Amino acid sequence: MSMSANLLKARDRRRPLSSEGGLQRRHRPDFVLLIISAILLAIGLIVVFSISPALGAQKNVSESYFVNKQLGAILLGIISFAVVSNVPPKFWRKLEIPLLVGACIASIAVRVFGEEINGAYRWIQVGGLSFQAAELIKMALIVWLAGFLSDRKRAGTLGSWKETTKPLLIAFGLIGAIVVVLQSDLGSAAVMIAIMGAMAFVAGFPLKKVALAIAVILVAVSMAIAVSPYRQERVKTFLNPTADCEGASYQACQSLIAVGSGGILGLGLGRSVQAYGYVPEAGNDAIFAIYAEKFGFLGSAILITLFVGLFARIMRTLERAPNEYTRLLAVGVLAWLSTQTIINIGAMVGLLPLKGITLPFISYGGTSLIFVTAAIGLVFSISRYTTYEVNTKTEEGSSNENPASRRGERRTHHTATRRRS
Amino acid sequence: MPPQQSQSKPAGKSANALLRAKMWYVILLVICAIFLVRLFYLQVIRHEYYRTTALQGQFKEYEIPPERGIIEAHNGNQVIPIVLNETKYTLFADPKFIENSADASTQVQKIVGGDVSEYEKLMKLDTRYAILKKKLTKAQSEDIEKLELKGIGTRKASYRTYPQGSLAAQVLGFVNDEGQGTYGIEQYFDDRLKGKPGELKAITDARGVPLVANDDNVVKNPEQGQRVVLTIDVSMQKYLEDLLKKGLDRARSKTGSALIMDPETGAIKAMANFPTYNPSEFAEVKDARAFNNATVSEPLEVGSVMKPLTLAAALDQGAVTKNSSYADPGRFEVDDAIITNVAEAGGPGHKTVRDILEQSLNTGATWLLMQMGGGKINETARVKWHTYMTDHYRFGKKTGIEQSQEVSSSVPDPKDGYGLNIKFANTAFGQGISNTPLQMGAALSSVVNGGTYYRPRLIDKTIDHDGTETIIKPEVLKQNVVKPETSKTITEFMQGVVRRNYLVYGMKQVRPQYKIGGKTGTAQIANPAGGYYDDKFNGTFTGFIGGDKIQYVIVIRVNEPGIAGYAGSKAAGPIFADVSEMLINNFNVLPKSR
Repeated sequence: MSMSANLLKARDRRRPLSSEGGLQRRHRPDFVLLIISAILLAIGLIVVFSISPALGAQKNVSESYFVNKQLGAILLGIISFAVVSNVPPKFWRKLEIPLLVGACIASIAVRVFGEEINGAYRWIQVGGLSFQAAELIKMALIVWLAGFLSDRKRAGTLGSWKETTKPLLIAFGLIGAIVVVLQSDLGSAAVMIAIMGAMAFVAGFPLKKVALAIAVILVAVSMAIAVSPYRQERVKTFLNPTADCEGASYQACQSLIAVGSGGILGLGLGRSVQAYGYVPEAGNDAIFAIYAEKFGFLGSAILITLFVGLFARIMRTLERAPNEYTRLLAVGVLAWLSTQTIINIGAMVGLLPLKGITLPFISYGGTSLIFVTAAIGLVFSISRYTTYEVNTKTEEGSSNENPASRRGERRTHHTATRRRS
Repeated sequence: MPPQQSQSKPAGKSANALLRAKMWYVILLVICAIFLVRLFYLQVIRHEYYRTTALQGQFKEYEIPPERGIIEAHNGNQVIPIVLNETKYTLFADPKFIENSADASTQVQKIVGGDVSEYEKLMKLDTRYAILKKKLTKAQSEDIEKLELKGIGTRKASYRTYPQGSLAAQVLGFVNDEGQGTYGIEQYFDDRLKGKPGELKAITDARGVPLVANDDNVVKNPEQGQRVVLTIDVSMQKYLEDLLKKGLDRARSKTGSALIMDPETGAIKAMANFPTYNPSEFAEVKDARAFNNATVSEPLEVGSVMKPLTLAAALDQGAVTKNSSYADPGRFEVDDAIITNVAEAGGPGHKTVRDILEQSLNTGATWLLMQMGGGKINETARVKWHTYMTDHYRFGKKTGIEQSQEVSSSVPDPKDGYGLNIKFANTAFGQGISNTPLQMGAALSSVVNGGTYYRPRLIDKTIDHDGTETIIKPEVLKQNVVKPETSKTITEFMQGVVRRNYLVYGMKQVRPQYKIGGKTGTAQIANPAGGYYDDKFNGTFTGFIGGDKIQYVIVIRVNEPGIAGYAGSKAAGPIFADVSEMLINNFNVLPKSR
């Protein structure tokens, strides 16, 4: 079969779909995304399994306590993935309001009923489970922003102060109020800001305003740091982690020691020492340090490669997203997972200040896992409707023959080949 | 609006959107690449540094305490343990982690008893380690662990345990809370009993608990302490303690000591003191004198039990013979002091050397000293007697028994000082010189065994951690203490003493098939203010029992008996009578073969 015939066939198949609001016909989803996610989950489970006795010993619970809870969390994660991945992307528009309301309630509940840890209110106990409200807020934020931004874009009012910028600033302020002030969770706030920024940026928010937003964020972050001695301490320890290994920089120091002592091949699965009470939060925030200690540079490189692979698959989906709305959803998910990964690993390798944020898929913790799998489910469901080539179409239903859309795009001719793989 | 235009503008924007997404994506990739470089730096280039730093924090050195050696003793032909180790548990709190001290102390109290408010107070101390209670049982410890109280824990601790209770308490000593042997064998042999601690160099968790699965761990097992087998015979010791107690009660005395030794080897068979205590409850002892092994640590003026030794010295030097006799004036004036005898001696008269012992003549002992000086007490006499006391009988020296608190007495210098003649005249009948019961027993042993002074000893053998046995052989400290004939004479004369006085000692009979001999002593007690008390005496008795050979030498001391009569005869004598009877009945004293 000749290349052109192939191409023609592919285009023929797509054509009717393009005409109905940009939604493609449902097809085979991106199983590579699923496989990478599953591998990451498995790695996380193995690490939690191997340090479960150490964590148990520190907390005075049974050796299998942590691994059992993690297994439960993964089960819930699979369920949440199964549910979310079967929700058609456009259905999310109907969930915007419920999600936002839920997020608000959860935020308030955390403050009212939550347990205080280090002056921060982040968790609520529901039965035996603890629920981290920030995860729900992230989800709600992505769903709302995707709808909001795609609407503004279609209306051509992305550059409008009144229509776009002002609501975004209000949302930004609300997040700041809820997450930073009420929950004292700068890490989650950073992730949310990254989600907002990435989505607005990709949606086409004017560059001038992007620059302005960055400036505003910098000011806001500086202020957030200025009002909290706890955060100042963290910045100080970040700038000079080895200055006070026994005191303020203890966590940063111990994480670096864990990472560095891993060497090329690592100490081995059961050989982590730093997990035994040296690195605080060895199961959650610091799990990458423990992983790096166990599996060395080789293991760390593989893990980062897996994350990059995951990002690449999400990127692929968003490039091929059938419409602006789904693309923005995928952008939000990518921003969420990538920012969280970067903040987490960055802190562990001493390149970013400690934030108290989980490493997606790997960290022990139910809420994070359930929402991460939900996010993957969301992208997975979008991947059912992707085009076979990078989709530069707008929702007005333009054809691919549009010369403007063809410009600068070099991968079109490979789509048929790729499909076979 | 032409369709072409309407399409191209949003399409352009879309391309723009993708470009923006790509830009952002590239930044993500760059950050990931930076992370990889950073990881390479940390994990490969700086690995050595971090490995070393990690070990500095993780690697800890511990001492593994060795198990303290047990102490055993004979029981007939068997060897049985009399001091063992027992693992108990110390309940402690780390107040830093106590969340609810009121609740925790209540829960703890339910299991271990005690005072709730006391526990609560301890749980609030500004420390990381507060001991709440010691000596918990295993079951109690397990119950405590089950509570899973934060900041409350138990820790193994080894304690000495005494299957025979207070038996030979002063001989054994005890181990104090710091693990230090205190008094007796425990102190004397502390280093050997303790063993050598092992070492554990291990990677540990942050709390210092060694992680098992690590090849870098270095373990040097502790060298367990030496096992010590005493010469003591447990049942003889029991009998002696009982008889001593009975005898002291009978004599209305509060304190006293007794010992039985083997004159042929120097081995101590039993050694008893009263008052006594239970070493497992040493902390409850109010009067520290109970810890003292007075048989080795409390020299007192011995009284007339010295006379056989004085006679032996005179005989041995040829100053007198066994058949010598003399005209006893009933009193001697020496250095302005007057030496007299007890009323029962009957005043001046013709006396034999045998009478000196049988009638316990102070003037006789003085006369013996005179004979050493060629007829009067002079420097020659003093030096000769001094030589026998210090060189032959080894007075003024420690015997070398394996007891931490042993003391030696001092013997006056024969050439230097004031009133030397009366001083030495006094020593001839046991005043003005203080000896421990053991010194008297060891000296008498050397006289009755034919003239060999064996070091008195309590250790039969020691067994090393690796099973090597070291048998402690009899150790001769002095040969030819006295000549064999002298030995024979003294043994015979001392039997005469018992034959003559057995009814006084409360003996029912003199068993002719055994050699039973002895000498009483009623020693005046020196008044710290000078001179002697008129009404305070110590009763002493040194004696022996055997057949062809003397098997046991026995020393009894009764301090300040509250009954009438001479303390030596009336208070110490009956105990000797009981002890000799006990030995014949239970310990295979071989009768004379002819």
